[in-house]
Amino acid sequence: MMSEQTEINLDSFRTEVRRFLETAPTPEILEAGRKTTSVFAPFEQAMAWQRILYDKGWVAPAWPVEYGGTGWNVEQRYIFLEECNRRGVPPLLPQNIQMVGPAVIGFGSEEQKRELLPRMLSGEDFWCQGYSEPGAGSDLASLKCRAESDGDDYILNGSKTWTTYGHHANKMFALVRTSSEGKPQQGITFLLLDMDLPGIEVRPIIGLDGFPEQCEVFFTDVRVPKANRVGDENRGWSVAKYVLEFERGGSAFAPWLKPALERLRAQCAAPLAGGGNEGGECLLDNPHLAHKLSALEVDALALEHTEKRVNASLKHGENPGPMASLLKILGSETLQKYSELQLEVSGLDALPLQTDALHVGSEVDLLTPEQHLLTMPYYLNTRAASIYAGSNEVQRSLLAKAVLGM
Amino acid sequence: MQYQYSEEQSLFKDSLRKFTEDHYSYEARCALAESEQGFSNEHWNQLAELGVFGLNVPEAYDGFDGELALLCAVAEECGRALVLEPVLPTALLGADLLRLAKPELRERWLPEIASGSARFALAWEERASRGNPRHLHTRAKVSGDQALITGEKLAVLSGADADQLLVTAATSETTVGLFLIVLEAPGITVSRYALVSGERAATVTFDGALGRLVSADVAQELQNTLNRGLIFLGAQAMGAMDALMASTMEYCKTRKQFGLPIAAFQALQHRLADMVIACEKTRSLLWAAIQADAAGDSDKAAAVLKAQVGEAGRYVGQQAIQLHGGIGMTEELHVGAHFKLLTAIDALFGNRDYHLSRLSALALAQESARLAVPA
Repeated sequence: MMSEQTEINLDSFRTEVRRFLETAPTPEILEAGRKTTSVFAPFEQAMAWQRILYDKGWVAPAWPVEYGGTGWNVEQRYIFLEECNRRGVPPLLPQNIQMVGPAVIGFGSEEQKRELLPRMLSGEDFWCQGYSEPGAGSDLASLKCRAESDGDDYILNGSKTWTTYGHHANKMFALVRTSSEGKPQQGITFLLLDMDLPGIEVRPIIGLDGFPEQCEVFFTDVRVPKANRVGDENRGWSVAKYVLEFERGGSAFAPWLKPALERLRAQCAAPLAGGGNEGGECLLDNPHLAHKLSALEVDALALEHTEKRVNASLKHGENPGPMASLLKILGSETLQKYSELQLEVSGLDALPLQTDALHVGSEVDLLTPEQHLLTMPYYLNTRAASIYAGSNEVQRSLLAKAVLGM
Repeated sequence: MQYQYSEEQSLFKDSLRKFTEDHYSYEARCALAESEQGFSNEHWNQLAELGVFGLNVPEAYDGFDGELALLCAVAEECGRALVLEPVLPTALLGADLLRLAKPELRERWLPEIASGSARFALAWEERASRGNPRHLHTRAKVSGDQALITGEKLAVLSGADADQLLVTAATSETTVGLFLIVLEAPGITVSRYALVSGERAATVTFDGALGRLVSADVAQELQNTLNRGLIFLGAQAMGAMDALMASTMEYCKTRKQFGLPIAAFQALQHRLADMVIACEKTRSLLWAAIQADAAGDSDKAAAVLKAQVGEAGRYVGQQAIQLHGGIGMTEELHVGAHFKLLTAIDALFGNRDYHLSRLSALALAQESARLAVPA
């Protein structure tokens, strides 16, 4: 009886979500969804969509209810994300909701929570992450960006890199060095700062798809109030680890992958366009390709149920601990496999890299049928999935240590 | 058994290396790729002076009648330095296929190819062909020496920059013909674009365009030329993979994390070892294919090579980026550009899967032939 009732509820929940998604996104938002070439959607439309979800009260389903969460269970959260992706809306930028939000909820002062959380949810603030440095990537704890105490302030000097959308952000959450005593992890502080402070310079980096997604950020004698610290001085590493575990494990890959696979299958079942082949052969006639699609589906289902299994065991606001490493490896590598298969499916149509056509509102003539537009930029960008948020090599070491109890 | 360049071939290869050292710094290459034409006429002329375009032209037509290994030496250096001038379509494909033409066409064009004063492109791949040159939707209505051609060709290398296009089209249910068309002929639409790797290509559509017949049935000759094209692409990929290996090893030895060069970590050492294995397998199969071409039957060896290049190129390219980390994802290093070249090469002229199925078909045909022999 119970399970039947839950099922009915989920169905009506899905219907409710679908009904909302039918009318809520504007054409520009949907275009941005079609032109999302990595996990980071075009900025302006992603924020416009965030605002619409905020007004609906659905912007941060996984947050505790008292801070703006929806109280949905894991199944509902999955259904919501899956339907969002099926509809083709852009994913929300993860910095506010999945990264800095949980840090402030978990470690921030009451004042910080009161002041910052609503603006994170509404998108009034957009936060960027200041973690990696030129010399501190996989070995994040070796970071050097210095924060020297000066009365009620810290004075910041140094630089950060791979700061996604740093050029769009008005706020940054950063890891800075407040002490060089003891183990490197012990002298790190988690600090919030405004990006318009004097002494901050942001330089975009051009990525493989020709777009500036990442930035370098330079600090020269930047004065930040100590009140902007999250958690205690020199205890920022535990905040960072907590956030990273959210970043690695909290973002669900499968709800994105499932509709993407459905689309890829449909594409393979449709006749190859052009050249007098209308109504003729399709790629699924090739048994090897059909086989690969099925193999990817096995991976996608394994990922989905692992994500659900881990998340179901967590309370609201908890993070998955070392299982985050497993989810990150599984998720990123399955995405990469998907991007490779999509590349094979597109064939020669993947070869033009149509950067101009990827801007929202672009009226450039397409060189290929539209479904191929994203294939190459997505393949290129998805190489980063096994690098960012802690390289998969580091994740494998963490996972091995955890399972071996070392 | 040749498994390395002869002394003479090495000297020639060195001259190409010198050319790329003089003109192909990564910065200069990026600027050239961004330019309207996407390659340099000056470079083209220098390559012509080095003799590149005469390598595959018979001596009777002012060429050098050189071995395929020489063209592979060019290809390797082009892959290593990410050269943008379209050597393959004219120097190899055009020169090969024009030999099938009537004497007047040969006399007209082969000396111009040899001197570098004519550019050719071969339009053969289609959306549905997926690597198979016999699988065509483009049709030709032949009448005497001429034909009307209708269809669409994709990824025509340097298709918008050629003086003449060589086009494949079905002349019957079972035969493939080859035609010569002037790029400006009525009924042709050319959209020019840059491949992900920066080289220029085009989508070309023919709507009853008038072409000159080169040959009404070229299936096996075309396959032979494409086999040689596959070997050229294999050598180009080899050059790209070698460049990626060199910079990845250098980076792993100098980049420090956790207080050590990252090359000190066993997980990465094993990865590098696997990358070296992928490269050496490819190099062996490249030479096997060069030998097979010299022996006159490269159907199998070329398919084997391209299948290997697809897998190894992807692995080495992806891991080179992975081991470089974030910096490998930017346009600041050549790593991404080599990775893109390898990605394009896998998709061109049939990907790994196509060539694996071609191998299966070849094996099946051989087996059927064996069983058909009476005891």
